[in-house]
Amino acid sequence: MSLQKFIEDFEEAVEDIEPNSLTAATNFKALEAWDSLAVLTVIAMVDAEYDLRLKADILKDCDTLEALYARVTG
Amino acid sequence: MPSFEKCIDDEVDLFGGNEKQIARLKKTIGLDRRRVVEPGTTAADLCETAARRLMVAMDLLPTHIDTVICVTQTPDYSQPCNAAVLHGRLDLPKSCAALDVNLGCSGYVYGLWLAHMMVSAGGCERVLLLAGDTISQIVNPKDRALAPLFGDGGSATLVQRSEVEAQAWFSLQTDGKGFDRLIVPAGGQRAPSSRETQVEVVDDAGNVRSAENLFMDGAEIFNFSIVEEPKAVRDLVDYAEVELDAVDYFVFHQANRYILSNIAKRLKIDPSKVPMQTVERYGNQSSASIPSALCGELGEELCSPGTRRVLLSGFGVGLSWASVLLDLSQLSVCEIVDCATSD
Repeated sequence: MSLQKFIEDFEEAVEDIEPNSLTAATNFKALEAWDSLAVLTVIAMVDAEYDLRLKADILKDCDTLEALYARVTG
Repeated sequence: MPSFEKCIDDEVDLFGGNEKQIARLKKTIGLDRRRVVEPGTTAADLCETAARRLMVAMDLLPTHIDTVICVTQTPDYSQPCNAAVLHGRLDLPKSCAALDVNLGCSGYVYGLWLAHMMVSAGGCERVLLLAGDTISQIVNPKDRALAPLFGDGGSATLVQRSEVEAQAWFSLQTDGKGFDRLIVPAGGQRAPSSRETQVEVVDDAGNVRSAENLFMDGAEIFNFSIVEEPKAVRDLVDYAEVELDAVDYFVFHQANRYILSNIAKRLKIDPSKVPMQTVERYGNQSSASIPSALCGELGEELCSPGTRRVLLSGFGVGLSWASVLLDLSQLSVCEIVDCATSD
């Protein structure tokens, strides 16, 4: 489990995101592809890969993928 | 089924011209077409049409019905209940009990549970269960998170005493602390309708709704569904001492294809045993979605000889979720009826 793996998982979970296009500092909520559907697919990914029930509040609190990764693994 | 059909492809304006987003919704969530009522048609009308078709198919006279149960969250009136209104319209006898159940997506299974208990306790020979909603009418058409999801529908199911012994196992659960995750906040006694409650507000995501429209916290409802549903199904088959593989079909509330495929994946069940095309054909029909999937996707098979072990499970507003495992022998009728052409 690593931040890099998390970024790859995120890229795969959200439709219309190119592989290797995001970084730890990416503000994922500013992405064009970030919508209510992306929220669901990321929740499903975190549940399946990280065994965590990702609350909507956590997504609201975080801006960067690094911050989200810290909350998922913290 | 209402005959009027809407298609997400025709709603590019709702998505600000973002065709990519529509393509994502179609591919992942399975949104496509949905049936909605036209002004003046209600869930009671849809249920009445279904009930009349059922009564003809079953050679059922009004006097044969001992109880009518209506499951709806979109009744004709705040008083009296839909069951009383339909009791009159269907010419049911005065000896027939009539009551409503105020539940949504879990409501069909709750209705079956009540009907099953009434018949098995010996007080009723036949219970008519009418489950239907017109959620499209309480969703703001400018709320792109909800408007493309919901369709309307009404259903009629007969639960009657028979000579064939058939067991059924029910599980009914509630998490009332989540009551505000899926809610119409105003228009009842807690927050009566007023000019303020009708004011449309734009949320962070750009969706428009008033306090009298349906609100859903999509992330929390999704979390609830993928956590509680697989657990409820596993617990029920354990309780019934039935192997998961021995179930022929898992008919879930047709919320959307993404939720259903996630539930199926977590249960490690064969997706071909899980009907999930109903949403793309008709939309999420709330309390009518399970009967809609039974009729639309399994109707032909359920009306052929043989017995199928079927697990039905609904989940949603409440928060409430309910499952039943039952053996269905050959049904006399299990079909979709178009409301406009049935009379």
